[in-house]
Amino acid sequence: MEWASEPGEEGPKPGLNPPLRAAREGAPGRMEFKLEAHRIVSISLGKIYNSRVQRGGIKLHKNLLVSLVLRSARQVYLSDPCPGLYLAGPSGTPMALPQLPGEPAAGPAAGWGEPAPPAVPAAWQETQPHPERSAVPDAQRAVDAEPAAPGIDAGDAVLGGQAAAGPAWRLMEGPREAAAGGPGNPAGASEVFPEVARAASHHCGRPPGGEDQPGALGATPRGDCCCAKEEAPAPPPIGPRKRGAAGAGGVGGPAGCPAPSSTPLKKPRRDLEEPSSGAAAEEEEEMETGNVANLISIFGSSFSGLLRKSPGGGREEADGEENGPEAAEPGQICCDKPVLRDMNPWSTAIVAF
Amino acid sequence: VGGRGGTDIISTVEFNHTGELLATGDKGGRVVIFQREPESKNTPHSQGEYDVYSTFQSHEPEFDYLKSLEIEEKINKIKWLPQQNAAHSLLSTNDKTIKLWKITERDKRPEGYNLKDEEGKLKDLSTVTSLQVPVLKPMDLMVEVSPRRVFANGHTYHINSISVNSDCETYMSADDLRINLWHLAITDRSFNIVDIKPANMEDLTEVITASEFHPHHCNLFVYSSSKGSLRLCDMRAAALCDKHSKLFEEPEDPSNRSFFSEIISSVSDVKFSHSGRYMLTRDYLTVKVWDLNMEARPIETYQVHDYLRSKLCSLYENDCIFDKFECAWNGSDSVIMTGAYNNFFRMFDRNTKRDVTLEASRESSKPRAVLKPRRVCAGGKRRRDDISVDSLDFTKKILHTAWHPAENIIAIAATNNLYIFQDKVSSEMH
Repeated sequence: MEWASEPGEEGPKPGLNPPLRAAREGAPGRMEFKLEAHRIVSISLGKIYNSRVQRGGIKLHKNLLVSLVLRSARQVYLSDPCPGLYLAGPSGTPMALPQLPGEPAAGPAAGWGEPAPPAVPAAWQETQPHPERSAVPDAQRAVDAEPAAPGIDAGDAVLGGQAAAGPAWRLMEGPREAAAGGPGNPAGASEVFPEVARAASHHCGRPPGGEDQPGALGATPRGDCCCAKEEAPAPPPIGPRKRGAAGAGGVGGPAGCPAPSSTPLKKPRRDLEEPSSGAAAEEEEEMETGNVANLISIFGSSFSGLLRKSPGGGREEADGEENGPEAAEPGQICCDKPVLRDMNPWSTAIVAF
Repeated sequence: VGGRGGTDIISTVEFNHTGELLATGDKGGRVVIFQREPESKNTPHSQGEYDVYSTFQSHEPEFDYLKSLEIEEKINKIKWLPQQNAAHSLLSTNDKTIKLWKITERDKRPEGYNLKDEEGKLKDLSTVTSLQVPVLKPMDLMVEVSPRRVFANGHTYHINSISVNSDCETYMSADDLRINLWHLAITDRSFNIVDIKPANMEDLTEVITASEFHPHHCNLFVYSSSKGSLRLCDMRAAALCDKHSKLFEEPEDPSNRSFFSEIISSVSDVKFSHSGRYMLTRDYLTVKVWDLNMEARPIETYQVHDYLRSKLCSLYENDCIFDKFECAWNGSDSVIMTGAYNNFFRMFDRNTKRDVTLEASRESSKPRAVLKPRRVCAGGKRRRDDISVDSLDFTKKILHTAWHPAENIIAIAATNNLYIFQDKVSSEMH
């Protein structure tokens, strides 16, 4: 069959030719893979942020897909129990990632989505009782990783710890949400916020390779997913990342990690008032993607603030154009806090999500 | 014809049921209809060319003040209604509103009025000495387009498909979470026939990506999901078709698992074959043919551009991984076609299992020029005219393609250009 063209065309426009990075594809090595996951998380967050300002409103389909990628990448990133990757020592530099015995072989197929090797999980066992999946207890659990003053809303949010930081975000960020809500979220401010965070964490309920190994859940913060309740042998979830990480000191945590008891980070929040806009959201059916806008308006601003203050610990891609729109975002108070400068911003941001 | 900010980027292409008319919609809310010139003995070389027939503004940008949302005017889909009289009708939709347009021709006008003169001025009655009957005289063809119905406020989420039922009375529109059934004559209400919105939006795991009525059975329709599954629903079974009659799903290949597995398995388009026996789906890397009688897996899978499988991270970064490619059957259901990057499009012959990659570009598309098959080289032996994967232009994507219902004529939308190719060797289907 031969195909011939017919006249009747219109003038073309010259196209751009974005460079296609092939260098990193199929990255071998566990560290390389984790950096990849790291990068994917930041890219995903940037996408969610940018979707807020695009014409036509937030696209539910695309944001759902991005949240799935975010969840997967986060799983991989947090599946390594070594705290070195996300806790900085006093010098502010990230610690090296020690190789644990019995680690699964490098490569995406092996490491991605699978629970941590058995040697590690024991250290992750937390004796924290699993709170009911509701807003206030989650807030209590998630908030206490931040050593700084309570005023650092964004900082708290960033260091919140789990996907259960969803409700914690909302509760802490109550006053700021109205300012940062922006278009697409006039009324549904309250409940919208945790939705994406929870959606991101919830989807991961059934990763391949089985998830019911004891302590495996400790490596991945799935415990707060509501789906964890449905599965019988669900291990208890761990609390904020730092506590758990410190608990893993027995398996080669780096020196300088604060011990759990000494961490001055716990600052449970109680009785934060829930904005009562849930009722307003019911009155007229919203597209209910305002949650995404909120998540990024808060997260994005603090995220970019952290990135700019990063002492070069971040990656080049972090300074991409996605930080541009965030630069003007109001409410970037976290970047001025000295304590945050000492943290590896990437780690804390990832952990928080 | 350049537009401001890419408003002339073609967003949908659709032949009507006879193939005589070809409609395109663009990002600026405009619809352009092309008509095929009848072959004439006088100009044997210009037989069957498509010329512009009508252009009109279908949708305008809107602003939803209640939700502080701008509603894009981009035409997402156009579907022709079966022709029932001299007029043509089509449905066009943007994210929120569907409109029924009627296209009529006027090629005669009445002349010889008694009370008016040729310019329409009233005559002095004293000059009228006899009465005459006005007669219709030919005039230059005028194509008139008028909006007959506006189906608004039916969708909270973004409309991704519309499909006219074979009963010619109803049609459906689908957004991310719901599918509505409309009657073509009734605009103030619609019936919701599918609703996958979870009670708690946190539990959302998949969305509807495309839907279509069966070409012959007016009670059957299919919708695809972002998880790669197809659901065939029977409207006779229940008023709300949340329970599918059949679920078509292929288990995932665990060796292909990556961060992006979910994205690339999302179905971007679903099309019934003309026979009604098969369905064609497109996901990011493949096209698949499904037999309605087999739910477990597709009967055929064709790799469109598998060399991109190792580039998914970069494609995620530059958003290309979210591109929604369409797919098309030829009239005899023996060849399937879909677009790719670098202005390439691919055709797969289901019988011979041969496939070809062609390019829609100005250079290769001089009138009557024959398209040369292209090849993408992903490493290994490279021939002279091969394109390497890294030099593919990912801004030149062919998302929308259409195949004439009976002949081997295809319409390819390459950003803001429309290419129409015809198989001159044999115009009949094979």
